[in-house]
Amino acid sequence: MTLYVAKRLALGLLVVVGVLILTFVIARVVPGDPAASWVGPHATPQELAKAHHDLGLDKSVPRQVVDYLHGIVVGDWGVSIHTKHSVLSDLASRAPASVELVVAALLIALALGIPLGLASARWRGRAPDLLVRFAAVAGVSMPVFWLALILQLIFFQKLGILPVAGQYDPNLDYTSPLAAHTHMAVVDALVEGNWPVLWSALQHLVLPAVVVAAYPLGVIARMVRASVLETLGEEHVRMVRALGFPERAVFWRFGLKPALNPIVAITALVFAYSLANTFLVEAIFDWPGLGSYVAASTQSLDTPAIIGVTLLIAIVYVVSNLIVDIVQAFLDPRIRLS
Amino acid sequence: MHRLVLVAAAAAVVLTPFALGATSAATTGTFTYGTYTDVMVGWDPSTSYSNEILAMQNMYETLTRYDSRAKKIKPLLATSVAKSKDGKTWTFTLRKGVTFHTGRPMTAQAAKAAIARTMKLHQGAAYIWDAVKSIATPNPSTLVFHLKYPAPLDLISSADYAAYIYDTKAAPAKQLPKWFSAAHDAGTGPYTIDKYAKGQEVEVRLKSYPKYWGGWNGGHYTRVVYRVIPQATTSAQLLRAGEISFAERLTPQLRDSFKSDKNVTVTSQTSFQNLLAMMNTASGPLADKTVRRAIAYGLDYQGIVASLHGGGTLSHGVIPPGLLGHSDSITGYPHDPKKATALLKSKGFGPGGKKLNLTLTYTQGDTDQQLVATLIKSNLAGLNINVDARPLAWPTQWDKAKSADKSKRQDILVFYWWPDYADPYSWFINLYHTEKTPYFNLSYFSNPRIDKMIDKAPSLTATNRAKADALYQTLQKQLLQDAPSVPLYDQAYQRTMLKSVGGFVENPAYPNVVFAYDLHPAA
Repeated sequence: MTLYVAKRLALGLLVVVGVLILTFVIARVVPGDPAASWVGPHATPQELAKAHHDLGLDKSVPRQVVDYLHGIVVGDWGVSIHTKHSVLSDLASRAPASVELVVAALLIALALGIPLGLASARWRGRAPDLLVRFAAVAGVSMPVFWLALILQLIFFQKLGILPVAGQYDPNLDYTSPLAAHTHMAVVDALVEGNWPVLWSALQHLVLPAVVVAAYPLGVIARMVRASVLETLGEEHVRMVRALGFPERAVFWRFGLKPALNPIVAITALVFAYSLANTFLVEAIFDWPGLGSYVAASTQSLDTPAIIGVTLLIAIVYVVSNLIVDIVQAFLDPRIRLS
Repeated sequence: MHRLVLVAAAAAVVLTPFALGATSAATTGTFTYGTYTDVMVGWDPSTSYSNEILAMQNMYETLTRYDSRAKKIKPLLATSVAKSKDGKTWTFTLRKGVTFHTGRPMTAQAAKAAIARTMKLHQGAAYIWDAVKSIATPNPSTLVFHLKYPAPLDLISSADYAAYIYDTKAAPAKQLPKWFSAAHDAGTGPYTIDKYAKGQEVEVRLKSYPKYWGGWNGGHYTRVVYRVIPQATTSAQLLRAGEISFAERLTPQLRDSFKSDKNVTVTSQTSFQNLLAMMNTASGPLADKTVRRAIAYGLDYQGIVASLHGGGTLSHGVIPPGLLGHSDSITGYPHDPKKATALLKSKGFGPGGKKLNLTLTYTQGDTDQQLVATLIKSNLAGLNINVDARPLAWPTQWDKAKSADKSKRQDILVFYWWPDYADPYSWFINLYHTEKTPYFNLSYFSNPRIDKMIDKAPSLTATNRAKADALYQTLQKQLLQDAPSVPLYDQAYQRTMLKSVGGFVENPAYPNVVFAYDLHPAA
């Protein structure tokens, strides 16, 4: 088992380094001098030349890659060109909000997706199944920005029951100030016992989380349905049926458990996917996550920031894959052999 | 069926309490500015050169302030300015009883130290002080600048960037940049930093500085909040709910949606920024003046302005209104396809002639520029000119324009220009003065006669503004003849704000800044 994990870990590391070098080289090959963004719009030629040197852009690309890799190891991810802050501190202040949003969305997706998938499988071909399958396809294929705007229109403008944007009501900062421990408003408010902020933060979380949840919800519901149906068609289930177990027991006791195995894998992957795909939702709901940061970075050729975000997402992907591999190896020893 | 009813009832119970806290109006006495991108890029008042101007101009003050409506300099930290006849010695008398937010008094020595540090660091817009040879402080309330050559120092000292007066002793000299970047300010302005939350949607909060020299009698906002809202639709929703007081920029459709809203006003004011099409005068087909003039006649300026829905006004020469040298009597090229066709025909191009292929670059991410590029393409298509319009990130666009290999440069480059202080010199020295290697003169234009006229402008502005005004008008007419570039439109600022915000005046000399102290909140 240790050897298996070590092998997976080494492979993951290789992937991260590969992604890093590739992004770095692509970023450097793209024409345009990032120093031009650094110095501001009307800088003098001297200032531009100085910035070019200060940012290390006058060195050869291999030399820059080595410097950058060294920096990563010692915890220096460079300085963002458009915010002029350290990339690591930028990520530390923005990633938690994205994580909070995605975790909330996944909880919604799991809480709804699994029962819906089960219902769909249980009444296969009948009204509940058709309904769930339609909803799942809609969830996966609906453009998020459209869904976001529609929900804002209904729940904020027409009904006035949910806030339109932000993490919590900014006026609460004067009446019940919140210290930022994790930059996740819900968690910080819980830690501090700050109930007004917690209440406000939960309200603010509902709409964006529902929008982000739409895609994973569809994927999970379909996955559960397919997986349960596949298990129900297997030989051991046929035998259980032959032994005279009632249909309810066949479904819940013998069909469900093995069917849930792939859900673990899909959840981890959907987490990493959602983290990189909440950008539009974040922009619409004014959510202070990675989204707006990446958008601004690409427009100013902010290579340190772009590479930093890429690296972070690559690490999340590799780590969640690793967790999936380990969990599945535990559940199913056959995986280690292959 | 009864299950469905239960679900609906449960949903109602869960959702109803949300109604209570969902729309809380902005706290009275708080002015909330809705912007679309991060505010605090830099914190150091000497090197600041970005969006932080929104907050900085409320925390810091300059010696003078430019009044774009009166086209005049107004006192601020300096109560009066006097100049010598040759325009090389400028004496500022400073306001008494002003303190920095650090508690120290604002004296001539302190003001000198701030400007000297800006000049020494020489970043951002610090070049505006390049004419200064030395600064003397004969007494605590007198600041005397001795210049190397005549320059309009009263205008320079009112600049939007690099002209802040601040306490250089807020921290030991070496630690000062670090001290600033830890979210501190050391200005004399009406507001001081209250809370900074990097990367958060409510990024900056300012509070009133109790000892502000202007005093706090007579209704002022006591808190100023900057909220970052990247999406215009969201911004509009927040304004409608009263959660922000002011939206920096909305789309034309969203602005129109407020027309019947009795709680919201929309204002419009021409800015000091214009969009220019720089034509390649050094190589390619546009090196020929006749072809350039044909292009200038071929563009539908009225159509461009109309498509912006109030986001721009027709240009009168290179200089936008509110600045020296602007004159409504200068008219640019009219849209005259017949004349354009005739000029093109004389060179073998145009309908029925050879096809003309041109590359055009514009800045990626700017929807106005994208729109204009599309219009240019369609205007010129009728003249048998094919325009290959490419959106590029600014560093890439600029790099291509500066290529040593002339064949790699574009034929037309679209970009904005604006001055770093309220004076038109910036357009001429940067865009039209001969450059050995191209930097900002991206039409690669060179005309020794025009160079000479440009060189005369700063000293004339310092000594005789009427003559400088006439010189700038002549320059613009000459440039229209040579057609190295065409101004496409003067940009207009359109703000959407709550009616309860009183006293707002747009001052294009300080782009996008709202001087919150000058506003009157409705009681």
